[in-house]
Amino acid sequence: MRRENLPQMHGAVRMGYFIFRRLVGFVLTLLAVSVVVFLAMNVLPGDPALNILGIESSEDARAALREQLGLDEPAVFRYFQWIFNAVQGDFGVSYSYGVPVSELIVERIPMTLSLAFSGMVLTTVVALVMGITAASHHKKTGDWVVMLLSQLGVAIPAFWLSMLLVLLFAVKLRWLPPGGFAGWDDPLAAMRSLVLPTVSLALVQSAVLARVTRSSALEVIRHDFVRTARASGFSRQRVLWRHVLPNALIPIVTIVGLQFAALVSGTIVIENVFYLPGLGRLIFQSISNRDLFTVQALVMMFAVIVVSANFLVDIAYVLIDPRLKARTE
Amino acid sequence: MIELKNLSVTLGAAAAVRDASLSIQAGDRLGVVGESGCGKSMLALSMMGMVPDALAVSGQITLNGTAMPPRDETAWRPHRARSMAMIFQEPMAALNPLRRIGDTVMEPMRVHLGLSREDAIKRTLDLFAETGIRDPELRLRQYPHQLSGGQRQRVLIALALACDPALLIADEPTTALDANVSLRITDLLVRLSRQRNMALVLISHDLGAVARATKDILVMYGGDIVERGPTAAVLAHPAHPYTKGLLGARPRIEQAAGKRRHLPTIPGSVPGLFDLPKGCRFSGRCSVEMPHCARSKPENVNTEQGQAACHQLKEGHNGG
Ligand SMILES: Nc1ncnc2c1ncn2[C@@H]1O[C@H](COP(=O)(O)OP(=O)(O)OP(=O)(O)O)[C@@H](O)[C@H]1O
Ligand code: SF4
Ligand SMILES: [Mg+2]
Repeated sequence: MRRENLPQMHGAVRMGYFIFRRLVGFVLTLLAVSVVVFLAMNVLPGDPALNILGIESSEDARAALREQLGLDEPAVFRYFQWIFNAVQGDFGVSYSYGVPVSELIVERIPMTLSLAFSGMVLTTVVALVMGITAASHHKKTGDWVVMLLSQLGVAIPAFWLSMLLVLLFAVKLRWLPPGGFAGWDDPLAAMRSLVLPTVSLALVQSAVLARVTRSSALEVIRHDFVRTARASGFSRQRVLWRHVLPNALIPIVTIVGLQFAALVSGTIVIENVFYLPGLGRLIFQSISNRDLFTVQALVMMFAVIVVSANFLVDIAYVLIDPRLKARTE
Repeated sequence: MIELKNLSVTLGAAAAVRDASLSIQAGDRLGVVGESGCGKSMLALSMMGMVPDALAVSGQITLNGTAMPPRDETAWRPHRARSMAMIFQEPMAALNPLRRIGDTVMEPMRVHLGLSREDAIKRTLDLFAETGIRDPELRLRQYPHQLSGGQRQRVLIALALACDPALLIADEPTTALDANVSLRITDLLVRLSRQRNMALVLISHDLGAVARATKDILVMYGGDIVERGPTAAVLAHPAHPYTKGLLGARPRIEQAAGKRRHLPTIPGSVPGLFDLPKGCRFSGRCSVEMPHCARSKPENVNTEQGQAACHQLKEGHNGG
């Protein structure tokens, strides 16, 4: 099909403008977050040097540290310096590791992102299958089973469940490692160590998302176009996955966006439970080491991940529903 | 082609359709009229094997000589879109809002006929031409919300024709459209039925449209088929008091020409499914009712025009 069409062009321009506006919002949000993070870490707690060295430290030592870290400068100046350097990828030098914070992040972010993404993918797949199955068996056995499972998933504490999983699959059956990470060089081993953490992350979330999927799909199934699809002789699966699901996606994507934020913060706990070298474990260690720059950079990193996810959700809405595109002006 | 024998669609003790029998052959054009809630849509859905789960279906449905279990999806599915297709009242709601028109119309061809995308596009453009869809190339890429009501209904007709069905069931296809558009859609359905030798069942509130488009007519009241026969004859000389009532309250043709025609009102309204009288469904609203009408169900009797079910006729008072 040819592309020379005017309305289509306008659509593309409008879409570009929409994305641009969302990008501006994205940047502004991050700036606001950065101010809050900076205030929370530098100004509110009082003297950062005191925080780092503790109250038994001598005034001389604190003065030396302040000078070393550049904390003598006024806060406003330090804020802009932090931002200016950060956008160039420079987050300062880690006080406890003695290497640039950016190196620490680059080294550990693959772990956290893999965990968050695989957790999200597993959550979504499980939730869609369960939710659509439940909706298509509304008020029948399939529906009750799914609802019962998701009720259990919501009610059972995630950390308890992950302990059970470790006991079963790692300790008793010895199928999977109980924790730790051997590095990415052996992809199969790497994936094996990610299985239990991913499942622990995804279980509760998928129980929640399955319910959202079910109710959204039930709402869509009542629509006339579903009857049209059925009258067209399409199989039940085609009707459900090709016609019902896309129309049920808007609430699902909204919840997925929120869940992604929950998953990312969930990695902090999970990485510590399973001894995985990701940002979550790093932030834990940095907090106990009072490593100001590292903590500050990591909190900002988590914020970037979450805000990016929301940005993508906003874009996804318009890709899913062409009627929203018409309303993007 | 399709035959219903003593078909009933019931909800507990209540019947949305009672003892309906009919037979449709290639090229037939059958109108179904009656007030709201008289079971017209249920009758149509039973011919698609799509009666809602809440209701029970009894009686026989025979499709091309094969007995069809009324609720067996696997038996009906291969026939949908190919043996018979259905279009619905509200064209906006009946189209998937997230799909391009082209993809919607192409889907049955690709799924059922296994056409390649290029062939499906070609066939879709042909159907667009046949159903009078303007700017066909542009339509392929548009979404339902970008079309007018009349164009949308044409798209639904094109979709229904995608696999060349032998029977097209149109359930109030023009109720949501304004009068001029409605007239043209009705004429389009007639033309398609003639050109393709495709049977047409036209369900409508609009007696004018049915008079214009169909050869035979069924008049339904309270789930019963109360009168049937050739459309022109029945409308000219109705035998059943209900048909007379429908016609009597109807605005005169010349007044109504070109304007929207609503179904006329007979005093009172159709009782709820559970409040229908056991005998003649029309008793309670009928102006020539007799004492036993409410208790005993009138049999079909032959009239000059066709058949009707009314005790008055049985007793020889044929009021033609
Ligand atoms: N899903 C359902 N469950 C139970 N009863 C239903 C259902 N759908 C329709 N009915 C009932 O069945 C009866 C016949 O309905 P039907 O839709 O066939 O009427 P209709 O003649 O098509 O009316 P209209 O002109 O309003 O479309 C009505 O009394 C209606 O209330
Ligand atoms: S059977 Fe009786 S109530 Fe029914 S239409 Fe005839 S006269 Fe009227
Ligand atoms: Mg109806």
